[in-house]
Amino acid sequence: MSNSMDDVAQQAKAFFIIGSNTTEQHPVFGTLLRRAVIFRGAKLVVADPRKIDITDFATLHLRQRPGTDIPLINGLMHIIFEKGWEDKTFIEERTENFAEFKTTVMNYPPEKASEITGIPVEKLYEAAEILATNSPMAVIWAMGITQHIVGVRNVIDLANLQMLLGNMGKPGGGVNPLRGQNNVQGACDMGGLPNVFPAYQPVTSPDVIEKFAKAWGLDPGPQTVDDKTSSIVHGLSSKVGMTVTEMMPGILEGKTRALYILGEDPVMSDPDTKHIRKCLEVIDFLLLQEIFPSETSVYADVLLPGVSFAEKTGTFTNTERRVQMVRQAIPTQGDARNDWWITSQIAKRILAGTPNRVQNEAPYSGWEYRNASEVMSEINALTPSYGGITHARLEAGERLHWPCPTLDHPGTPILHTKQFTRGKGKFMPIDHAPPAEKPDDDYPMLLSTGRVLYHWHGGQMTRRAKGLMQVYGEALVEVNPDDAVKLGVNGKTHVRITSRRGSIKAQAWVTDRVPPGMVYANFHFPDASANELTHATLDPVAKIPEYKITAVKVELV
Amino acid sequence: MTNKKILYKPVDPEIEKLAQLHGGTHEAALEVLKDLSADHKLNQTTITETARVLHLPAHAVHGLATFYSMLSLEERKKVLRVCDGPVCWLKRASFQSSVISGQSSVIGEWEKQMPDYTVERTSCLGLCDRVPAILVEDEQAGPVEIQDANKVCEGWRGVTTDYSKPRKGEVRVMIALIGKIDPDSIDDALSHGIYDGLKKALQSEPTVVLAEVESSGLQGRGGAGFPVGRKWRFVASEMKTPRYIICNADESEPLIFKDRVLMDTNPHQLLEGMIVAGYICGASEAWIYIRGEYEGQARRLERAIELAEAKNFLGENILESGFSFKIHVHRGAGAYICGEETALIESLEGKRGEPRLRPPYPPTYGFRGQPTAVNNVESFCAVPHIVKNGAEWWRSLTDDPTPGTKVYMVLGHVKNPGLFEAPFGLTLRQIINDFGSGMMKGSTFNFALCGGAAGTIVDDSLLDIPIDFASSQKGISLGAGAFLICDQTVSPIAVLRELLHFFTVESCGKCTPCRVGTWRSLEILNRMVSGQGRQGDTDELKTLAALMQDTSFCGLGQSVAIPMKSVLTHFGTEFAKAEKQLVIASPKGEAIS
Amino acid sequence: MVNIKINGQSIQVVSGKTILQAAHAHDIEIPTLCYHKDLNPTGNCRMCMVEVEGGKFLQAACVTPVWEGMDIRTHSEKVAKDRKMTLELMLANHPQDCITCDVSGECELQDLAYEYKASAPEWGSKGTRYPVDSDPNPFIRVDMNRCILCRRCISACAEIQVRDVWGVAKRGFDEVIVAGAGTTLLEARCESCGQCVAYCPTGALSNKMNYGMARAHQVKKVTTTCSYCGVGCQFDLLVKNDKIIGVQSNPNAPANGMALCVKGRYGYDYVHHPERLTKPRARRYLLEGKDKNDIRDSIRDTRKSNTELSNIESPWDWVETEWDIALDIVAKKFIEIRNNFGADSLGFLTSAKCTNEENYLMNKLARQVVGTNNIDHCARL
Repeated sequence: MSNSMDDVAQQAKAFFIIGSNTTEQHPVFGTLLRRAVIFRGAKLVVADPRKIDITDFATLHLRQRPGTDIPLINGLMHIIFEKGWEDKTFIEERTENFAEFKTTVMNYPPEKASEITGIPVEKLYEAAEILATNSPMAVIWAMGITQHIVGVRNVIDLANLQMLLGNMGKPGGGVNPLRGQNNVQGACDMGGLPNVFPAYQPVTSPDVIEKFAKAWGLDPGPQTVDDKTSSIVHGLSSKVGMTVTEMMPGILEGKTRALYILGEDPVMSDPDTKHIRKCLEVIDFLLLQEIFPSETSVYADVLLPGVSFAEKTGTFTNTERRVQMVRQAIPTQGDARNDWWITSQIAKRILAGTPNRVQNEAPYSGWEYRNASEVMSEINALTPSYGGITHARLEAGERLHWPCPTLDHPGTPILHTKQFTRGKGKFMPIDHAPPAEKPDDDYPMLLSTGRVLYHWHGGQMTRRAKGLMQVYGEALVEVNPDDAVKLGVNGKTHVRITSRRGSIKAQAWVTDRVPPGMVYANFHFPDASANELTHATLDPVAKIPEYKITAVKVELV
Repeated sequence: MTNKKILYKPVDPEIEKLAQLHGGTHEAALEVLKDLSADHKLNQTTITETARVLHLPAHAVHGLATFYSMLSLEERKKVLRVCDGPVCWLKRASFQSSVISGQSSVIGEWEKQMPDYTVERTSCLGLCDRVPAILVEDEQAGPVEIQDANKVCEGWRGVTTDYSKPRKGEVRVMIALIGKIDPDSIDDALSHGIYDGLKKALQSEPTVVLAEVESSGLQGRGGAGFPVGRKWRFVASEMKTPRYIICNADESEPLIFKDRVLMDTNPHQLLEGMIVAGYICGASEAWIYIRGEYEGQARRLERAIELAEAKNFLGENILESGFSFKIHVHRGAGAYICGEETALIESLEGKRGEPRLRPPYPPTYGFRGQPTAVNNVESFCAVPHIVKNGAEWWRSLTDDPTPGTKVYMVLGHVKNPGLFEAPFGLTLRQIINDFGSGMMKGSTFNFALCGGAAGTIVDDSLLDIPIDFASSQKGISLGAGAFLICDQTVSPIAVLRELLHFFTVESCGKCTPCRVGTWRSLEILNRMVSGQGRQGDTDELKTLAALMQDTSFCGLGQSVAIPMKSVLTHFGTEFAKAEKQLVIASPKGEAIS
Repeated sequence: MVNIKINGQSIQVVSGKTILQAAHAHDIEIPTLCYHKDLNPTGNCRMCMVEVEGGKFLQAACVTPVWEGMDIRTHSEKVAKDRKMTLELMLANHPQDCITCDVSGECELQDLAYEYKASAPEWGSKGTRYPVDSDPNPFIRVDMNRCILCRRCISACAEIQVRDVWGVAKRGFDEVIVAGAGTTLLEARCESCGQCVAYCPTGALSNKMNYGMARAHQVKKVTTTCSYCGVGCQFDLLVKNDKIIGVQSNPNAPANGMALCVKGRYGYDYVHHPERLTKPRARRYLLEGKDKNDIRDSIRDTRKSNTELSNIESPWDWVETEWDIALDIVAKKFIEIRNNFGADSLGFLTSAKCTNEENYLMNKLARQVVGTNNIDHCARL
């Protein structure tokens, strides 16, 4: 998020929620938005094919056809131009490439946008007026925007909208993607990505490689192989690695031979489960570090017991870049060990088997950590945006958002107030592209997937929470009442949903939350996981699968 | 979203229709519920559906359905409501009708006699001049004894009281036209000068008319006596528009029925007063919030509004003045608390009739959050006369410091109970002897309940104090102008029990002292009247009265202490005897529930 | 600014502030029950009544704005007497079961009754008017006998969660708090966030999952950050005998204040679930030093039934083992595969559920120790 949740909730005059089921997926932030609408009179435009709960609070709900976000956003921007609502000063002073961008937007007159999206023209005008005339306006999105083959383009187009309206770098404005997992932000920040070191320092940059090589006691310069013993590899790789969505299929191609999976359950959470299973079946070695046996542990060779959040100390970084303490409340269960300890042990043992790779005199070459705080000190030294975020400061009650480069820096709740990271904000012309999978006679309906309020992702934790199971104990598939009539579904019956890849059986929830022709399923329950149906077509840049659009057929069981 | 909620159900079209009929906004909730209740269709499902249609939380609609006494989730037949007000009680108890005896309850008797009806007790129906009174569906009836049941089934509704002949000493202004006009004829009204005040007002600037009302010294007739002109100046000086006028016709306090008579006998006088108020305040719209039990009067007002609209006394550009004004009639659904002006506004907004925090007061933040003047029926009725005849004339009607006349009600053991109009400053003795024609044969004065249910209970030591809004300082209150005269057969403890029963039933429940304090006081009084008084009862009543007065949220709770404290002052010895179980308070009129 | 006096002390207050706010700003304590700083004041309970010089009635401090020259007494004899009486009116209809009540020790009614020496009068219902534990919600225990009708639950639901589940039904002495149209909580669209429980000053609303498990003074509270979504709510874990027995709102939580969602507040019991992995496991073939490629057939046969430990003596059985053995196997395999296929044949999926520190170490392991950039996590999924 470019702005903090509190800032958005307190300052925005209008919200544009697109592709975020905020009240179910980020429930507490959802309540902040509800409060803003009800008690502060903030305007709310929700664009979502589904009538999700937050639409109860919306000034206007736009029900675009799945996969038509770009024509929607471009159509709105077209109206903004037509009415002269763009922020000319901001465009002039803070942005570039405006002309090219405008040319593209001009290809999306409201009538065309309406035709593609299925949203009536007058509603587009109404939405554009709300969003453009209530300033500051905050755009909020989540996976509904990104889990498309055009995910990155969707995001860029939303940034276009916010630059066009001059809503960047302003309290109550900004681009605000809501991060799903508790520490997905931190995992990205800490270099848990194939192209960057911590703090998004590119693996392709020689300077960065030199910096980390020095710190970690490796040969500077690009990676070399020791001729004498080919097992000893020197230096850091400057080659961008594989994403998870590439590593998995890479198994079948022999590219990926071993995986170390820390607390994830790809069988549940990755697209096209059948394919994932096929990959994991043939892997040479799978190490899984988990707190429960999972769908993925079926394929693991070694299973190491890590610990839950209640048993560990460290930090999580939330969706607004706020770094917060996690504190150990209870001893580790049984012979389970802290995850940092396990990783360190593996590192030490591999290094012991590969002498000469690491020079011990480098400041951060070693793995002798006594606690998480010591790891944080190393992070402080090597991660500029976390330079001043220490356990000591957090324990003293300081509230810190990164970037926080130094010990005396107060943190940065709002990004881009003076300038963008790259200097000027660059408008990017974005065109519509249809989804990868289209319905046909055999698979006439569209499936979208996601989570529900009572469960979490693959469900390993929440399916083991008794009360949550009492309230939501089995997978429900949302079916529109009109479709239900056609199918003969009455809400007590089960339906079979079949895609080109697989099939699941689940109880139907007949509801007008979904429009006719669309069904919605979750991936919390192994016996009816939506990912049996989804496909692994990826966004070419972000390598995010298009979970939100799968062609399916629905039958009464 | 739970496994239990997977059956899809479209919105009930019937409720959708009702909602649209009443405006389709959340303010329509109470009216939708009343229609559902009238059709015996009020239940958990229809409540939830109503909430869904009106985009309200289910609890809000359910809260309404269970708040107002005229609504019921129970399955009912046609409804017969038996008045449980103190005047009806006094009538039934002290004249011991032959049918009621021993333990058999009034309700039970009526049920036996009228098997097609569901019989319910109800707080005072405002028919204190027609006791004992009942409400047959929405038709007022009285005096009706149980032996009249057959006639009631056939449509007989008792006898209305005739006030066409003034009593000796009356000065009639607001009730001057009783019996002289057909209340449903606007031509009759016009030929007697109704709307002349409006015509005159429209020829002056609103500020000039306001100045006239202010200098008349007219004080609010609801009981508190707040200067009407000052209230309207507050509203007129607010910058916010629209501004609203509300007529408080929720006359629900036991003993009080003057507003019913005023509306019934001369509805155009009220409308005229409201239109003038609207003109003065710069308001555009008005509501008459009339208690649900006054259905006949509500219809009469609706007819009168139609007639006035046809003559352009209401509507757009009234009499070419450029001033436009609308009046709506809104029926309550059975709640005394809605007479409290902020509770009334809440109710009008389709909510439970619970009083609001004050400040802000209605003139700055009233109906829909807009500047609003809330005044009593009688206050509005006085206004046309003041505008027409001038403030000086109004002041000249009396020598009492409080200008103008007042409509009074004298009830109980006097020879000639009923309603009359006279200047301020009457003494209790005058009220009994001059206007009530003296005590009934065989009756000697014991005590009087003065003002209304929330008034003072006084003994003969205060017979000669001139009564006006200020006389409560001397221990005798004017309130809304009713006086219940009780003779030697009536125990003041029993009367207090009746009052506490009323307050307990009608307490909204919002604040602790009123909610529990009334209930506990009633519990004590119930014991005392049935001969089971205990040492310490009187002290506890005193403490409870003090607590309710000191700490209650609104005027209802605060005013419960008025009868309690006064009766304990004047009749302490009676209470002391009851504590020692020396007397069984009589009459034994038990609660009819 | 206006000048007022509280208990003889002259103070300056920003105009528009309430008496209570003025008092709190100067550390003058006034008892409250229906008031909570997060919620709009309603003035229902009448505990905070204070005496204002010249006033006919006492004034509710929580809702009465100060005015110039106001002279307030917060603890006069009259005030104290009325407060005690008000408490007694509440206690008359409240069960006398503090001895077994779950919230004893953190009950605001109990604290005030103690302070004002108010005891239950002999009259009243003593909490026998409603069914105990009357709602089937798996998280929220409802006992309206303990309710003092302060309505904080209603405000919390309406103003914090903005769900409007709780409301008032009936009137006067019969007044009662109900969910929706007198239905169960879930039927009334309750999201089970437990905000109402967090704001309830008595035991009327309490947590079912830890009912009867500990008294307030027996638990250790550890403030931590929620492990579900990216909002980053903080709360206190309640710990007794090294077990998590509950979650409690921490009013100082930066992102969320007192608010939590159903998962954050009630989805903690997985921590002690019997299926927790507590010992390292390795496949039998690894412990026996066999090659995975030689046992593929038997893996296929047994795969379906082997999430749990089994003893069917297949090479694909899970066998619990010691840390040293398991870790050595892992290191050996990783070295072996890197030697054979290069560093980029290894992949690392770090975790969006784990801490920054742990993620950093995974990054360091992949890059420094192994020499590959094949590291990713489920941000895309």
